[in-house]
Amino acid sequence: MDRRAASPSTPPRDEDLHRRLVYGDESALGEAYDAFGGLAHAVAHRVTRSTHTAEEVVQEVLTHLWARPYAFDPARGSLRAWLSMQAHRRAVDRMSEAAGCGTLPAGTALLPHAALAELPPAQRQVLHLAYFAGRTYRQAAVELGIPEGTAKTRLRVALRSLADRLADPPDPAVEKGM
Amino acid sequence: MGWDPAEEHPEIAELLAAWALDAVMSGDAERIRAHVEDCADCAEELGRLREAVHRLDGPPAAPAKGARRGADKVGRGRLMAAARAARTGHDAPAAHAAPYAAAVASLEALLRELDGTPARWGTPVVHDWDVQGTVAHLVAADEPLAERLGMLPVTRAEAGGTGDAAPWEVRWAARTEEVVAYEHTRPPTETAEAWRTQAHGLLDLPEARAEEPASLPTALMGKRLPVADHYVIRAFETWIHTRDIGRALGLTVPSPPSVHLQRLVVLAVRIVDLALGDGTRPVLLGVEGAAGGDWVLGPAAEPVAAELVLDAVDLCLLVGGRLTPQEVSRGQAGDAAAAQHVLATAASLAWL
Repeated sequence: MDRRAASPSTPPRDEDLHRRLVYGDESALGEAYDAFGGLAHAVAHRVTRSTHTAEEVVQEVLTHLWARPYAFDPARGSLRAWLSMQAHRRAVDRMSEAAGCGTLPAGTALLPHAALAELPPAQRQVLHLAYFAGRTYRQAAVELGIPEGTAKTRLRVALRSLADRLADPPDPAVEKGM
Repeated sequence: MGWDPAEEHPEIAELLAAWALDAVMSGDAERIRAHVEDCADCAEELGRLREAVHRLDGPPAAPAKGARRGADKVGRGRLMAAARAARTGHDAPAAHAAPYAAAVASLEALLRELDGTPARWGTPVVHDWDVQGTVAHLVAADEPLAERLGMLPVTRAEAGGTGDAAPWEVRWAARTEEVVAYEHTRPPTETAEAWRTQAHGLLDLPEARAEEPASLPTALMGKRLPVADHYVIRAFETWIHTRDIGRALGLTVPSPPSVHLQRLVVLAVRIVDLALGDGTRPVLLGVEGAAGGDWVLGPAAEPVAAELVLDAVDLCLLVGGRLTPQEVSRGQAGDAAAAQHVLATAASLAWL
């Protein structure tokens, strides 16, 4: 499906940025930082609760984008969603490590974010756009080049499975709610 | 009236997650709110979904907006410094060498995808080359220009017995064979390093940094062209083989930026025009896109016999032997034989 045909408001920018990153144009990295560094920071901060760690994650994610531009494929999603997911993944990894050493900072909600990080990528993409990037389901659908109904369904399935994983061990009598 | 909560239930239920995430359209809000008030199932599910969102939110955090904004400039500077360290760049190559610098950057980045998976170097690419063989071919293909510009060889592959009298195609093919065979006797990372060394060496030369030293014509690969054009040819070939490797590895290699593509198109048009030979009827070639333009191929004095429209990337792939005349998207008008002759000539170059 041609994403640009779906709506003129879809940024053709992703493909352009990706091309320039691949061909070693540094200014494209600066633009990616300006456009998505704030989001990546907010995502990492949500998980780590530390401005310093979040900044480290932002650096890591964008340096990775620069060093390994082929890891991102504009045909498979938006750069916004990809960077958000990368920042989240790395933030969760850092916190898991901290938890392993018993140095998890107070107030971090690792469990729900570890669960989120394990959702299938297609669901995670939409959830990232809706939850972290503040997109409506329609905007997310346009950005990802998927039908609106699919975006809604993915959000529903994603959030439901998160709810399931986070729920206390279910009591069947209560669960089936007569 | 006529409003039935049961009827709209499926539609609203589908929106509950978006609603819990505050990701619905403004028009949806009223309907959802009204439905949930009357529908116990939806109310319960919404509760569950909201709880999940709440868990993601975690406890309220002190907003750190100001700090982030302050860190922004510092962070950007730090990132750009890290970027320079992570990939080898060249300060302002001359316009004729910029496409080659970019193509080299793109292949380097692609080969980095093989880090940690040595077996993938053996993936078949084109002809009978695997990834290592394709990079070895580029070592051989860049070598004549490097040698002509006074650089030392980067591969120890011994030159065989074709002799200087043999036609360039024969020597060229023989040299590739020697280098591919030799490079396969050492680890792929060393082949990649040899290619990198030679490529960056070419880009560090004065001929790559300014126009003037690159204006001297020199005959290479059967073509007497200014050194500047040979740099464009290097870009062309590096891109085509990077694309080959990408396809073999299942990674999409974007076509070059349009300023660079434009140079490749101009070069391709010139090479096709040279190859058309006598007795050709003039054809107007329109190349589409930001990298495009219009050219009359063949004797300029005669009236145009046909018009041909090609996409810029397709034209390059046709000349590069990666698409057939049947595959290139095109519009065509006028004398079909004349247009066909241009396409067939372009394809016959099967360059690379």
